[in-house]
Amino acid sequence: MKRFEELFAPHLDAAYNLARWLTGNDSAARDVVQESALRAFRFLHRFADGNAKAWFLTIVRNESYTWLKASAVHHWVAIGDELPEENAALSHSQTPELLAIHTENVALIQQALCALPPAFREVIVLKELEDLPYKDIALVVDIPIGTVMSRLARARAMLKLELLKLHDHE
Amino acid sequence: MNELDCTVCQTLMHGYLDKELDPPTTATVAGHLAECAECARLHDQAKLLMLSVKRQAPYYTAPASLSASLFVPVAPPPGILERWRTWIAPAFSAAALGLAVVLYVATPASEQPLMDEAVSSHVRSLMGEHLNDVVSSDRHTVKPWFTGKLDFSPPVVDYSAQGFVLLGGRLDYLQHQTTAALSYGRAKHIINVFILPTPEADTPQKSQAIRGFNVVSWQANHMRFVLVSDLEKSELEAFSQLLKP
Repeated sequence: MKRFEELFAPHLDAAYNLARWLTGNDSAARDVVQESALRAFRFLHRFADGNAKAWFLTIVRNESYTWLKASAVHHWVAIGDELPEENAALSHSQTPELLAIHTENVALIQQALCALPPAFREVIVLKELEDLPYKDIALVVDIPIGTVMSRLARARAMLKLELLKLHDHE
Repeated sequence: MNELDCTVCQTLMHGYLDKELDPPTTATVAGHLAECAECARLHDQAKLLMLSVKRQAPYYTAPASLSASLFVPVAPPPGILERWRTWIAPAFSAAALGLAVVLYVATPASEQPLMDEAVSSHVRSLMGEHLNDVVSSDRHTVKPWFTGKLDFSPPVVDYSAQGFVLLGGRLDYLQHQTTAALSYGRAKHIINVFILPTPEADTPQKSQAIRGFNVVSWQANHMRFVLVSDLEKSELEAFSQLLKP
C-alpha cells in the first residue's frame, strides 16, 4: 500500500488529465482513474522498477479506450489514419493561419483538440501538456519509438487544420 | 549536407522542436531550415502552435476528493490476493483448527499409549521375579501395603471363590504416575490389574487385543482400571464384572 502510494500519487494529475482529455468528461475521467489505480494496485507485483509514470499512464490510456468503446458518445468511429491531406491548399494563406494558430482563445484550442481522433489527441496531450519524452510516449501509446515523431507531426498538422476551420467559422 | 527532402524535414522538424533528434540530424534539419523558406515557415507555425497549446489548453488536475479516495486513508478496494488474505486464508485456518480439534478429540490418542504401556508392564512382570512386591492372597496384607506408597487407595479383593486368586500387589508406573498393580491367577494364567487415578469422567468398559493379550479397561469414580492377561476375552470380561462395584 505504501509503495503503491509512493509510486502513483505523484502522477495522479497526469493520469486524470489524460483520462479527462480522452474521455471528454469529468465523471468518466474519475471512473477511469479509479479503475486504473485499482489495476495498478492489483498488478503492482508486475511493476519491477522503472518508469512509474509511463506505467500508470499506460493503464489509464487503456482504461480510457475501454470507456470510449463502451460509451455511446462516439463522434468518430475511426481512431484512424484516413486523414484529410488537403492542408497544402490552406497553407498559403498566411495571415489567418497565424492568427488561428496563435490564438489566445482557450475554448477554441480545447474545441480543436477535442475534434482530433484520440490517437492524435493523446500524443498532443502527452507531449505538450505532460512534456513526456518520445520514449515514454512510445510506451504509453504502445507504438514504436520511431513512430512517435511522425504521429506528432500529423497530430500537429491536424490540430492546425481544426483551428483554421474554427477560425473561419467565427 | 542539405540534401534533406522537404517532406522528410516536415516530419523531422517536430523532433527538432521537441529536442529529440541526435546531434547530426539536428544539424541537418537546422541547415535545411536555414535555406528552405517553406520548411522554416512551417517550423515557425508548429512552434507557435505548440506554445498556444501549452499555454491555453486546460490541464485537468485530479479533484482532491479523487486523490483522497485513492490514497488517504482508505486503501483502494482490495485485489483478489488481498481478498484471499482477508477472508479465505482465515477461513482455511479456522477449518484446519476445527479439523485438528475434531481429530484430537476423536482420536483415543491418550488411551493407546496407556494400553500399550500396560501390556508392556504385564509382559515385564512375567519375565523375572517381579510379579509382586507383596506376595499374599490376603487382601488385608496387600491393601495396607499400598498405604503410604500411593496417594489413592485401590480396591483390593480376593476372588478365590470365583476362581480368581489374588496373588499379590506391586507398584508400577504408567502414564507418568504411580500405579497400583494387582495380580490374580486364573488356572495357569496371570491377570494384571492396573489401577490409577484419573481426573477424567467415567467411561464404559472397552475390550481390545494388543499384541495377543486381551485388555479390558474402563474408568469409574475417577479410577482407571486396565486388565491385561492372556486369558480368554470372555473370562477376562467376566472377571472385570467382579471388580466393578
